[in-house]
Amino acid sequence: MNACAASFAVSCIASDRKGVDTLQREARLNRFFTDVEKRALRIAEISIRDRDEALDLVQDAMIKLARNYADRPEDEWTPLFYRILQNRIRDWQRRQMVRNRVMVFFGRGSEDDDFDPVAAAPDPAGRAPDEELQSHEAMVSLQGAIAELPGRQREAFMLRTFEGLDVTGTATAMGCSEGSVKTHYSRAVHSLRETLGEHWQ
Amino acid sequence: MNERNKNTADEAFAEKAKQLFDASVDGLDGETRSKLNRGRQAALAELQSGGQRWMQWAPAGGVAVAAVAALVVWTGSQQVPELDAPGVVADMEILLTEDSLEMLEDLEFYSWIDLDGETTDSIETEEPENNVG
Repeated sequence: MNACAASFAVSCIASDRKGVDTLQREARLNRFFTDVEKRALRIAEISIRDRDEALDLVQDAMIKLARNYADRPEDEWTPLFYRILQNRIRDWQRRQMVRNRVMVFFGRGSEDDDFDPVAAAPDPAGRAPDEELQSHEAMVSLQGAIAELPGRQREAFMLRTFEGLDVTGTATAMGCSEGSVKTHYSRAVHSLRETLGEHWQ
Repeated sequence: MNERNKNTADEAFAEKAKQLFDASVDGLDGETRSKLNRGRQAALAELQSGGQRWMQWAPAGGVAVAAVAALVVWTGSQQVPELDAPGVVADMEILLTEDSLEMLEDLEFYSWIDLDGETTDSIETEEPENNVG
């Protein structure tokens, strides 16, 4: 009888401990998502040029991370999250390419023709109108140039520069070697500087 | 431009790009932030439901583990010399019926009946031979 009571008590303590662990993990994940979600949205938005679609992709990535990788160490979350997101972005772009080919086949143009980078760009807050306009225009130019980069260069540049991942983290997120990351990043910066030129420097 | 100057220019470029990007992140409107918040809550709900899905199998898992442990202890105490698979299945079927549990409680009685039956059989088979003679 005493053994049963002790066993029950141990199982209750273990159950409580598990509940506490789950709550702590949820709190840590909440902090992580809160920290990363806005930058992730902008990175996705620059890649696919559609905010609503970008919101869906970011949410999908958050759900997948919570479902499959919440048990992994916290320092792995950022590269894992961006790996999921980059895969989602690539899938989305592939689907768009197929859809556009079908549209062209049936005589309808791409909806990307309607894209207006000025309208799509966010409004920076808390600045003087002149400064805001300059910053706004510079960002529109930058994201337009980034959007024109080859996919892997775009990923490397945004993960390294905007998200601040190191070479190892970027390699994990992109699913490639560190050497490839360095090459893609270097080419991206060179290409962007050339594209934006004196207007932007 | 030598390599050092180039690296410095690249770093300055990246720094400016980062500042513009951060400004655009800070400038996200309320509606977009609200949508992000809803997406985050959906992801966290997934974490909770995933945990609950796992937890709802915990009692059944505990019962299964206890049953297997009991079976292992019981079969170990029987010291059966040879354990064939069909026999184990038959044992399980017998063990899982209520009648068998009652029978186990009166195992001594049934052993006595069995022994008594064997004695009676031997007497019954001997008697006709005696009658023939």
